[in-house]
Amino acid sequence: MAVFSLIIINKAGGLVYQREFQPGLRKLSTNDYLVLAGTFHGVHAITRSITPKLPLAAIPNPPITPTTATTPSPNIASPSSTSTPTPSSSSASAGGYTYPNPGVPATGLESLETDKFRLTCFQTLTGTKFLLFTEPTMANIDVVMKKIYELYADFVMKNPFYQLEMPVRCEAFDRNLQGWLRGRA
Amino acid sequence: MTQPARHAAMLSISNSGPNTMAGEKQQSTQHMHTQSQPSQGLRVPSNRKTIYDRHLNRSRSAELSRASFAFLFAEMVTYAQRRVTGIQDLERRLNEQGYPLGLRLLDLLYYRTMSSSTSSSLSSSSTSASPPNRPLRILPLLHLIHGPLWRLLFNRPADALEHSVSPETPNEYMITDNDPLVNTYISVPKEMSMLNCAAFVAGIIEGVCDGCGFEAKVTAHNQPTEMWPGRTIFLLRFGESVMEREKVLERAGVK
Amino acid sequence: MVVYSFYIFDRHAECIYKRRWLPRPVSTVGSKSSRPTSEASAPGLPATLGQSARTTDDDAKLIFGTVFSLRNMARKLGGEDDNFVTYRTSQYKLHYYETPTNIKFVMLTDLKSPSMRVALQQIYINLYVEYVVKNPLSPVEHPGGIGVNNELFEESLEQFVTRVLS
Repeated sequence: MAVFSLIIINKAGGLVYQREFQPGLRKLSTNDYLVLAGTFHGVHAITRSITPKLPLAAIPNPPITPTTATTPSPNIASPSSTSTPTPSSSSASAGGYTYPNPGVPATGLESLETDKFRLTCFQTLTGTKFLLFTEPTMANIDVVMKKIYELYADFVMKNPFYQLEMPVRCEAFDRNLQGWLRGRA
Repeated sequence: MTQPARHAAMLSISNSGPNTMAGEKQQSTQHMHTQSQPSQGLRVPSNRKTIYDRHLNRSRSAELSRASFAFLFAEMVTYAQRRVTGIQDLERRLNEQGYPLGLRLLDLLYYRTMSSSTSSSLSSSSTSASPPNRPLRILPLLHLIHGPLWRLLFNRPADALEHSVSPETPNEYMITDNDPLVNTYISVPKEMSMLNCAAFVAGIIEGVCDGCGFEAKVTAHNQPTEMWPGRTIFLLRFGESVMEREKVLERAGVK
Repeated sequence: MVVYSFYIFDRHAECIYKRRWLPRPVSTVGSKSSRPTSEASAPGLPATLGQSARTTDDDAKLIFGTVFSLRNMARKLGGEDDNFVTYRTSQYKLHYYETPTNIKFVMLTDLKSPSMRVALQQIYINLYVEYVVKNPLSPVEHPGGIGVNNELFEESLEQFVTRVLS
């Protein structure tokens, strides 16, 4: 149950916070972390754009009779998928495709696994990304993530000396984060 | 700084913006405008009952959202930070924001401590006598601040009350708060490490002291410990006239 | 479990093989409707289903860029011997396997699928090595997918995905 480190990326892809809690990952220079944040920001956007698109009608339908063209669409589902896709408003005009998990908005990378660590990415509705590096076996990461977001909302956003989108230098945030993680371990 | 000038400034503030502080500290300023305010300019609910018609004890046990206070106070600090020349200047501004609040709060505090002492007959006398009359000596005043005022503002008494040990400064007293509410979410940048935003609370204390007729300067100082990283000492320095009067009253045996 | 697509990238970062499995609407296919069907696979050919040829080509490039960046990130943080295995979004999972010879296998599946690391390794050992590397008619390098898009490999991959995996 180890949390290695936390990175916060602002909505423009800039690194605003980086802190190590437990050793386990290699140490990078500040510049490397900046590059990593920028790269991840880009990759995150790409992983969203390469979401597989499932066609609603396999053959692009030339104007046939409206009855055959419209009726089948609700029955389309990927073979083992249990939910029925509902054609989204955008897909209808674009000639018909749906995402594999209709009803859930397509996101970018949410979790990444390697042999040594697991990266969990949480993007807030305001576009800030929290990257948490943990052991691959760690459970309940969403609890940790939620608490981190709460502490961020408390000790960073309510701090009159914090300038939005700028690097986070809030001693109370560090202290409370460290204290909470130590209490968990 | 002379006292009359300060009062004048405070009055002008209160005239120009009567509602600026009202929401923050449980509508402490209500009674100031009851008679002078006709219906115009004031939002009157459909049942014709404004907040001035409510009983003053109505909000006695009411609670405020800590988050909205934190955001409001953050904006106040940001506002005070504009065009300041340095940390001292910033603390002075925060102090000035708190001062009128303390002055006005005092009336509510008297009102409530009196009504509670008559109804519950001094049940909560953990901080010695909670005085039914206004304090005449320094010690009752300090107890008033340490206990009832702190409870009114923060829902708990302050953590310590001390007198200066140095013989040169008998006019200095210290009130300690281990974790001031106003500083809960504030991290002061390293280059401003001297700053303590509880200067606002110091301003409130100063207002209370002044309102009681004790001329004083109050400042807030950081005194972190391992256990309490936000520990703050409020240093009260009473003026010469107060100390002289104190001696006279002591000889006269006034408590 | 559903497999959406499968890509092979050679050591020159070129996409030498790609294949997509698209679930078909019931109305247009009829008898084969319950099984995913695969799309024409040779690179350069215009895709017939769903997306235009441009987007499938671009997708391959985007996927390579993504896995390349993520692989580098994993190595930077986890050390030289760390391997990027998989990532997940709200919509799909991407699985990654890299051979010691720097050939990269990528597979996109739905969220319910378990780790595909072993499956990708099997595709490499049992299909790629057997039918592409050991094929005397196949060139050493595969620019434009030459040599990979042979019948044996494609057939057995099709079988592997439809029979073994689903």
